[in-house]
Amino acid sequence: MYSYVIKRLMFACVTLFAVLTLVFFLVRIVPGDPAQVILGDQASEQAVAALRARLGLDLPLHLQYWDFLSGALVGDWGRSMVTGSAVFEEVMLVLPYTLELTVVSLAFGVVVGVPLGVWAAVRRNGIVDYAIRVTSLLGLSFPAFVAAILLLMGFAIQLRWFPVISSGGDGLFDHLRGLVLPSVSLGLIMAAFITRVARSSMLEVLNQDYVRTAMAKGVPERVVIWRHSLRNALIPIVTVVGLYLGVQVGNSVLTEIVFNRPGLGKLIVGALTQRDYTMLQGLIVVYAFIIVIVNIMTDLTYGLIDPRVKYS
Amino acid sequence: MSGFARRAALAAVVTLGFGMAGPAQAEKTTLVVAMSAADAGRLDPHLTSTHVDKVLLNWVFNGLVRIKPGEASPAYIEPDLAESWDSNEDATVWTFKLREGVQCHHGYGELTSEDVVYSIERAADGNRSSFSGDFSAIDDVTAVDRYTVRVALKAPVPSLLGILTNYHGGNIVCKKAAEELGENFATRPIGTGPFMFEEYKSQQYTRLVANEGYFRGAPQIKEIVYRYIPSDAARDLAFEAGEVDMIYGKQDASWIQRIQALPGAVIAVMEPTELSTIYLNMSSEPLDDIRVRKAIAHAIDRKALAQLKGGETNRPAQSVIPVANLGFSPVPLAEHDIGKAKALLAEAGFPDGVTVKAIQSTLPVLMSIMEGVQAQLRAAGINLEIIPVEHATYHSQIRDDLSQVVLYQAARFPVADVYLTNFYHSASTVGTATAITNFSHCDVADADIEAARSETDIEKQKALWTRAQERIGEAVCGVPLIETLQLYAYSDKLQLGYDLNGSLNLGPPITEKSHFVD
Repeated sequence: MYSYVIKRLMFACVTLFAVLTLVFFLVRIVPGDPAQVILGDQASEQAVAALRARLGLDLPLHLQYWDFLSGALVGDWGRSMVTGSAVFEEVMLVLPYTLELTVVSLAFGVVVGVPLGVWAAVRRNGIVDYAIRVTSLLGLSFPAFVAAILLLMGFAIQLRWFPVISSGGDGLFDHLRGLVLPSVSLGLIMAAFITRVARSSMLEVLNQDYVRTAMAKGVPERVVIWRHSLRNALIPIVTVVGLYLGVQVGNSVLTEIVFNRPGLGKLIVGALTQRDYTMLQGLIVVYAFIIVIVNIMTDLTYGLIDPRVKYS
Repeated sequence: MSGFARRAALAAVVTLGFGMAGPAQAEKTTLVVAMSAADAGRLDPHLTSTHVDKVLLNWVFNGLVRIKPGEASPAYIEPDLAESWDSNEDATVWTFKLREGVQCHHGYGELTSEDVVYSIERAADGNRSSFSGDFSAIDDVTAVDRYTVRVALKAPVPSLLGILTNYHGGNIVCKKAAEELGENFATRPIGTGPFMFEEYKSQQYTRLVANEGYFRGAPQIKEIVYRYIPSDAARDLAFEAGEVDMIYGKQDASWIQRIQALPGAVIAVMEPTELSTIYLNMSSEPLDDIRVRKAIAHAIDRKALAQLKGGETNRPAQSVIPVANLGFSPVPLAEHDIGKAKALLAEAGFPDGVTVKAIQSTLPVLMSIMEGVQAQLRAAGINLEIIPVEHATYHSQIRDDLSQVVLYQAARFPVADVYLTNFYHSASTVGTATAITNFSHCDVADADIEAARSETDIEKQKALWTRAQERIGEAVCGVPLIETLQLYAYSDKLQLGYDLNGSLNLGPPITEKSHFVD
């Protein structure tokens, strides 16, 4: 397994290098001058040119690329073109917020989605099944920002249980209070997705011969479902969770903006609007790194769930 | 009284009303403001010209003179760091006497003439300032003694005091701090204003604290949390929930209606206006034909556009510069006449209509105006092809002279020279080395604009500015559309301490007198 992990990590390095190069050139192809955006529309052409020179944007592209690459290799991601602060520090400052949001919403999705999916499968074609299927379909079809605004209007404005600005408070209680609505907003879609996958995966397993045999032998239904069937139905669920975790990090962009939470998503939108090339480069690499790591972890989880899975 | 004036008056009455009734001062001393931006830019007053930074820096810095809080016109200029000033007869040498004992924030020492000289020289240096062009007439700045500064000009300028107000390059920075901090000054601005920079949290907020040693007295508000909330809905909801006390407003009628319905909300509609104009590139076909430009002008219905955007905050343009500018003159603009527009097009050889292209920002506030223009032009057989691009791309491409028609919305220092020079003087033509924002390649009023700049007789100067506006109007370098006022909403518990009619820095000043009441 170790050689498998090492091989995957080596592939990951190649992927990251490709992402690094692609991102460097992509952000520069997009029209828009960072110096102009930073200084605003009343800045003189001379001031804009001077700032461009200070930012190194007047250098030939290959020199800029070399500067960027040589810095990245030794862990220097440069400084934000807008604020002048170190990109690595900025990213590390907000990364925990995004990870926290993603993990909590994922946990919400799993805790709600798996039992509902199993329940729907067991009560196939019954009222419970229909209700769960329709609800999960609604959850999937509902635009994330609409759900976010509705949650804010209901729980922050009407009931005043949670804050609108979720990064507003200090202390653990305020922190957790601020985390609830964004996590639920993001987790609802995840829960709907997992419910549907868990249902279809369970249905497949419940039709297997060994389930019928276990039932015929008189093994209690609870044990058949939760111990024998669910474990075998987990692989597709884990695959979906793994795949969706990457999507979830992406979805967090909108959630962070609507709930005004700090995080990679808010940072990336700001960097894109302000054409902060260095910040964008750093952020995309972090995103790519997260996706690569999640994929490796998903693959490794298969082995834990199903001992028949071998790594080569 | 028009809708917007009524609204502004309402804000003023509410503000004054509370002041007179004398409600008890509240314990609350933290002001939370939410602005429409993802993050701060460079917090250096000589560098940034973005709306979101200017509002904040206005509370941190002073100028030699200032425009009275709550006003936006240079007619209200009053002493700030300078106690008094005078000039020689031809207004080419000015002497400013500074206040004594003014302290720079965070222990950077007393502000003296050395700081003022350094600051003006910095603002005039194109490598360190975005506004060096405003200071091009300055020949020499000298510190006569510890509290006296002399400014010598190469030639008289329309308003030296205007340049030296607490706006853009006129903000005075503390020399020791600026030199010591270097590039970092933009992330740790040091001024002399009522509030001091304390903390910046990326993507979240900038925190200011009261400057207890402020020369006008210790501010009653002790802390300002200046939040960056890019989502309009989230900003409004945070205000509704009482988590923020003041928000930047969305310039549309439905926003005003929604916020007005909230208990305890005060809507502030204030000067300066932003003038929206479509600039017609006179160097590109078919816009090089004045008949086509005139046809476009006749196809535009300014009143309908103002109604479309909300009559309470919008009014039809009356000249090629905003009404509140010193030197404004109402020039005859083409009246709305579809028949005339079609006849002019036919005369120009386009009886079946004509197509022009516009690179357009997708920013809703601008796009909605352009869509209105597009619909009006269509009625006259003019097909305005809108190429929607993201806002930063729009700014880049229009400056690269890539758009035939440019919709631009701008407020500038309210002296006619600034607007006329930036948008209509040939030296400002986009795509040239001295480019500013002359998108139309207009050059018909260069002589008048230049003559007015050095004219010392105010009446003659105004006459020259009037002639410049007339010439530009006749040549149809652009078609002025509407003027839009600035919009904010704030809690009625917040007493600004003055009558709010306007603010040059586009946000309500928070002064030492601003406070909360119960």
